[in-house]
Amino acid sequence: MRDTFSNKLVELAKSNSKLLLLSGDHGYGLFNSLRDSNPDQFINMGVAEQNMVGVAAGLSRVGFRPIVYGLSAFIPIRVLEQIKLDVCHDDLPVIFIGDGAGFVYSHLGTSHQSTEDIAATRAIPNLIVLSPGDKFELERCFELAYQSNLPVYLRLGKADRGDVHTGSLEFNLGDIITLKEQQLKTSLIATGSMLKMASQLCEHFPSLGLVSVPSLKPINEEQVRDLCKKNDHLITLEEHSILGGLGSIFSEIASDIPNIQIHRLGIQDKFSKYCGTYEYLLEEHEIDYTSLKTAIHHLIHKNK
Amino acid sequence: MIKISKEMRRLIVSAAYHANHGHIPSALSIVEIMKSFNQVETEDDVMILSKGHGVMAQYACMKELGWLNDDDLFNYFSDGTELKGLSDSRVRGLEVTSGSLGHGLSVGVGIALGHHINKSQQKTFIIVGDGELNEGSCWEAIQFAGHHKLKNICMIVDKNNFQAMGETAKIINQDNLGQQIESFNFNVIEIDGHDEVVIDETIKQIYSSSNGKPNCIIANTVKGKGISFMENKNDWHYSRLDQSLYEAALLELEK
Repeated sequence: MRDTFSNKLVELAKSNSKLLLLSGDHGYGLFNSLRDSNPDQFINMGVAEQNMVGVAAGLSRVGFRPIVYGLSAFIPIRVLEQIKLDVCHDDLPVIFIGDGAGFVYSHLGTSHQSTEDIAATRAIPNLIVLSPGDKFELERCFELAYQSNLPVYLRLGKADRGDVHTGSLEFNLGDIITLKEQQLKTSLIATGSMLKMASQLCEHFPSLGLVSVPSLKPINEEQVRDLCKKNDHLITLEEHSILGGLGSIFSEIASDIPNIQIHRLGIQDKFSKYCGTYEYLLEEHEIDYTSLKTAIHHLIHKNK
Repeated sequence: MIKISKEMRRLIVSAAYHANHGHIPSALSIVEIMKSFNQVETEDDVMILSKGHGVMAQYACMKELGWLNDDDLFNYFSDGTELKGLSDSRVRGLEVTSGSLGHGLSVGVGIALGHHINKSQQKTFIIVGDGELNEGSCWEAIQFAGHHKLKNICMIVDKNNFQAMGETAKIINQDNLGQQIESFNFNVIEIDGHDEVVIDETIKQIYSSSNGKPNCIIANTVKGKGISFMENKNDWHYSRLDQSLYEAALLELEK
């Protein structure tokens, strides 16, 4: 997934000399290819994220296409006001890449973990919020972000879980992607790193439908409403707080639809307490495979 | 050509009175600065008002430039009007949305960096308040501009020695502001921020400068300049004019 990002970046940089990658002193290995092929299009802005976003706004005003890279704990969270005022208020074409979203930095503690970034960004007018689940979704999301000419937050979570799709995708902004039709009127809805998890859970629960949501904002409400009509239960799955993320988006849209229940699985309203592997942190927050399997089992049987 | 500064001050006081709005002294301290920089600004050069609280001074310039009319200022703060109490980028003549401080400098640095990469000659002028320099983001921008030797940038500090709640010296002391900024590889010039001749000469100096450094003008100003009962009286940061004080202010400006 990270190779895909790196390759796509180099491809875009070669085709447009106005593309500039700004990094807050992060992503060393990720940008080796770009720094080799187009060294003038990479700027290490130093550990100064606020300035980095303001500078990106300024650059975009004089015709550049800045891509601002940082860990999602910093981009967007630390610089939310700069994103809002300097970029989104003026609808400037700046792409924000928030890497390591969720619990990727499991050993490093709360400062490097972000489980509130979707909630925060999607409330900012003019900002597109994308959350790809595998390398094929990432490739398409990156294309859509670049072509949109608008402010975009691209959330990158755990990236080494393997792909779910089998080839290039052609979805548009807002589209939800049905990977598997439901058989018993219950579907799993996943975004980002939880897509792979959801597809594994579907192997255990073969009757469940599976839907991926790489575009959190905009979201095609009509497609979501259709999905609600085909199901009695939607189980949302995200490596993000259950407040304000994927589960909230679906709950908001479904609020006036009768006979649909949305069950939000994700991070409860709390910080991580422990240090440990990524798997360990998922267990702590009960979004590891076993915990989710149990939770879904109960949901299915309770609702029979 | 913009008329005398007294007319700009009259416009500021009048707009604030009709709007029942504060922040009057923040605008009065930058009247000469705004007047001069609006005049030098070419189509390609950019002037950014980062201290959004002084926005009424820019409205006064815009009125003199013909971008606003009497009604715009007379109806300031009326329902449905576009001129806000702080700088808004959607208004012609204002580049950034500020009031939340510490934004304009970085945006200006980004514009200057773009011109620098393009090897174009345009200048970027950014007006910041001395109180605004409490913001860490300003210093991020200053160190970046200094490191990259962005000689096409000029930061003007409105050093009126006050901020919302009191004297800057007592809140975050800036006695050595010039030296501090100089230490980030800036060319620093300290001037009287109310002397139009000096401001204009300094601007010319910056246009012809070839020292390869970003520029900073520390403009020593008086908060509330031109209205005796407001000068250096920081309660006026938030206070509003009643009718008798409004008339007294106008009388002073007619002298």
